[in-house]
Amino acid sequence: MQVTKREFLVATAALALASGMRSAQAATAINYWHHFASQSEMAGLMKIIELFGKSHPGIGVTQESIPNSEYMAKVSSAVVAGGRPDTGMVVAERFADLTAMGALVDISERVKGWKGKANFPENRWTGMSQDGAIYAVPAYAFVDWMYYRKDYFEEAGLAGPPKTFDEFLIACRKLTNPAKGRYAFGMRGGAGAFKYVIDVMEAFGSPIVKDGQAAIDKAAAVEAITFYSNLFVKEKVVPPSAPNDSYRQIMEGFRTGQTAMVWHHTGSLIEISAALKAGEQFSTAPMPAGPKAHIARVAYAGNGIMKDDHVDAAWDWISFWGEKDAAIALLEATGYFPASTAALDDERIKSNPIYQAASQTLDFGRLPNRFVGAAGWSESVVNPSFQSVLTGQLTPEQAVDRMIEGLEAALR
Amino acid sequence: MANLSIKDIQKSYGALKVLHGIDVELEDGGFLVLLGPSGCGKSTLLNIIAGLDEPSTGEISIADRSVTALPPKDRNIAMVFQSYALYPTMTVERNIGFGLEMRGVPEQQRKAEVRKAAEMLQIDHLLQRLPANLSGGQRQRVAMGRAIVRNPDLFLFDEPLSNLDAKLRVEMRTEIKRLHERLGTTIVYVTHDQIEAMTLATKVAVMKGGYVQQLADPRTIYERPANMFVAGFIGSPAMNFIRGKLVVEAGRSRFESEGVRVPVPVSGAAPGTRNCVLGVRPEEMKVTTADNAPIKGVIDVVEPTGPDTMVTVRVGDHSVVARAEPRFQGRRGDPVAFDVDPLSINLFDAETEERIVMGSVHQDA
Amino acid sequence: MKSVLHRGPLAKLGDLSETRYWVYLLLFPSLILLLLVVAYPTLYGFVISVREMRLTRPGLNGWVGTKHYVAMLSDRVFWISLKNTAIWVTAAIALEVAMGFVAAVALNRNVPGTKLFGVLILLPYFLPNVVAGHMWALLLDPRLGVINDILVKVRILSSYKAWFADPATAMAATIVVEAWHGFPFFALLFLAGLKGIPEDLYKAAAVDGAGPIRQFRLITVPMLRTVITAAVILRVISLVNSPDLLLVLTGGGPGNATQVLSLYAFQTAYREFNFGYAGALAVVMFVILMVFATLYIRLTRVSKD
Repeated sequence: MQVTKREFLVATAALALASGMRSAQAATAINYWHHFASQSEMAGLMKIIELFGKSHPGIGVTQESIPNSEYMAKVSSAVVAGGRPDTGMVVAERFADLTAMGALVDISERVKGWKGKANFPENRWTGMSQDGAIYAVPAYAFVDWMYYRKDYFEEAGLAGPPKTFDEFLIACRKLTNPAKGRYAFGMRGGAGAFKYVIDVMEAFGSPIVKDGQAAIDKAAAVEAITFYSNLFVKEKVVPPSAPNDSYRQIMEGFRTGQTAMVWHHTGSLIEISAALKAGEQFSTAPMPAGPKAHIARVAYAGNGIMKDDHVDAAWDWISFWGEKDAAIALLEATGYFPASTAALDDERIKSNPIYQAASQTLDFGRLPNRFVGAAGWSESVVNPSFQSVLTGQLTPEQAVDRMIEGLEAALR
Repeated sequence: MANLSIKDIQKSYGALKVLHGIDVELEDGGFLVLLGPSGCGKSTLLNIIAGLDEPSTGEISIADRSVTALPPKDRNIAMVFQSYALYPTMTVERNIGFGLEMRGVPEQQRKAEVRKAAEMLQIDHLLQRLPANLSGGQRQRVAMGRAIVRNPDLFLFDEPLSNLDAKLRVEMRTEIKRLHERLGTTIVYVTHDQIEAMTLATKVAVMKGGYVQQLADPRTIYERPANMFVAGFIGSPAMNFIRGKLVVEAGRSRFESEGVRVPVPVSGAAPGTRNCVLGVRPEEMKVTTADNAPIKGVIDVVEPTGPDTMVTVRVGDHSVVARAEPRFQGRRGDPVAFDVDPLSINLFDAETEERIVMGSVHQDA
Repeated sequence: MKSVLHRGPLAKLGDLSETRYWVYLLLFPSLILLLLVVAYPTLYGFVISVREMRLTRPGLNGWVGTKHYVAMLSDRVFWISLKNTAIWVTAAIALEVAMGFVAAVALNRNVPGTKLFGVLILLPYFLPNVVAGHMWALLLDPRLGVINDILVKVRILSSYKAWFADPATAMAATIVVEAWHGFPFFALLFLAGLKGIPEDLYKAAAVDGAGPIRQFRLITVPMLRTVITAAVILRVISLVNSPDLLLVLTGGGPGNATQVLSLYAFQTAYREFNFGYAGALAVVMFVILMVFATLYIRLTRVSKD
């Protein structure tokens, strides 16, 4: 059969058009980047995709799991080099950096016309907004709290969990018994340590950033670092591995009974419940209050649109996460606290005493600090400076000087 | 006195036996060549003499002293290797003197002796070079210098010439012979090259399959090979073999095959017929026009080489090579006849392939 | 007919093939490829390093000249990283060379079973850095680590040690892990090199009266010099450039005790989104590696052979 070049080209073009039209009719395919990794998180995500598929048969979602530590590297590479996903997960701490690099699409108009908006009070949106424009729909929240070993507390004759830093220190001294290999507090000194360092600094009355300027109050900050690092250096109520202990290690320490208290958020409840009996061996309590402020974070996490190729389908997907069905599905699988008030009223939360600490924290909890460069400063300056205090290479004064210096550089 | 005595040396690697009881005696100043194809065990035997390998049983004595239990360095030997084995980081001077250095000879004396050896080998201008910057022949000389300078009881050469090109090989062969005559040191030399064996040796041990096939002076090896293997291994072109019968009747013996009828001088053999193989060297086949010539055939190929002309002849079923005079005239298909000196031939048993000793007439011919 | 052929374009190509320009024409496609794959990214790295490029501050982007390099001079973390890189690379490679040598010598025998061991010994090298890192993080874990358990049982330690939490041991611990991971690379290359050394040299040395130590120094080492040089250069380059093991084990901490240049550049780019400064760090690493490789090859005089 003889086919001329012209005929061949026409035929190819027709075929391409036809196939393009067919796929447009069948389903819009969008992809979704997230950093869910554990079995329970993936189960929750799969359930949400399944529910979404039922209510939106015309849209197919392809999920892509990216390790949390590489999430920003991957997103920033996609911003620089291309290859953005349609949608992506946005956690509060990263919101400022993501909007600054232009990774998110402004969705204010769509939010205004969305019927689900009523379920989200104003503070839910604050963490997802920049200069009055909304960039993501909140889906769930991580509420800071404290896990403690109820049985250890009873053994030590402690009436209840500490409500202030002073009580916390007293409890620490009573709960520590190195001969038994038992320490009171699983301090996070490795990756992610900065979070509690900053929280303690604020609890001692030092702000971090005000109006885009470094605002650390040196005296208060030094007092805070001294108090917090002394738990390890002087009081020795913290395991000796603390300077390298990150999420995995502090959780292990608590689950294996090495530590009696650990600070984290609602996200790890399922994991701890699997190892220890809730209400008997362990319980939860609000974070203890500092001398100047009671700090606990409520970090809303949501989803944003990163590319406007299939913006309608993308909007359907990210707003679906804000609906009650999706929030409950995630709660069942992971225990992640819903952002939507409609879901918060669910019996599973109201009737469970373990969740009371979180519900209380919602009343006073703060959003995480958000300023451009927060992540870089926290991890590259706060972490090593604090670790150096723990290992005796820096005094609290020197560490605070470095933090101030680094913060000023990061904000310049 | 630096004679070498090898007594019942056996060597096995697991189930594999590579040497089956080797016995060799070599007099002081003798030149023993271990000759054989690869895998015959000659290198293993040399390594055992050097002490680089241990025998399974048996004993080695050098200069009437048993050295079987001694490490190589205490046997007072020197060795030259096929690959020369020069130390790549050392100058020629240090390479040659290294054995002395290891023995703790003072530097001044060492330098003097190295220079003497180097002058003997005409490499004294190369002393400061590294082996990488030498030609093959120069490296060979350095390797020899390294052996000479130690003034050993025994020199061991492991195929020292096989990495050289043909011309250099002849030169170095002569050099080794000259060296041997000048120094008079006892030498054991391993090679698979029969010319080296013939030219250098005072005694040749032809080896195959872990056995010494024949131990004798080169002339005996050439003229009276102990068996067909030795006969075929030595000489180029190789000895011609013709299968046939030895017929003894009425006190006279002759060898018979198609186109061949050679009288054999035998004394005291019983009458009868037996199968055997006639061995005759190409140069012993003389072209003749006589009617009653013992070997008759038809010319197959004529190859002039200059000093000789090689004539390949079909004799019955056999192909036979004769070394004819340079101006031999003859063409393919021409009939040709040869005369043979009965004293120059060898007869081998067809079964055992051993040489048949034919009475007093042949002894020490 | 003939004259037509001579005028045709193919004939001209034929004429060109007779000239010396033909070579360049044939090399052209690979040259383009090389430029795209090698030259462009390298040059782009240099260009980034003289520009401000902060993803989170797009407004600042632009030409800044040597600003990043000047900033580096007074950057405390840079100098610590530089020092740590030198320690980390030198110590890890010294250990790897030593272990690789021992392994290669042990495997270079005709003993049955060495083939199997040859494969087994390569296993660490097959593990990706990240996997090896997580595995060792567990082995050395201050609570569950098997190694701590063993050391306590044989009474070398009195209690479990948090190796990565103490600046005095963090670097050493990561070096040991790296050495474990990297030594098969040397073992493999050394083994190949050892197989290439003529047996005769050792025999000659034995006859001359040189013992095993002298044989090693005078024969083995010089004969492996080219292999050693090449292997060390390759390894230095890969060690200087790969932050993954340290990222997994310590993240550069505690303090900056295990911070190295590659990790610092990685964190600057992907944590602070400061690609300009990260680019400058990468350029400095590039220059250091070039200078190192040149000097090292000169010193070992490999190219002369």
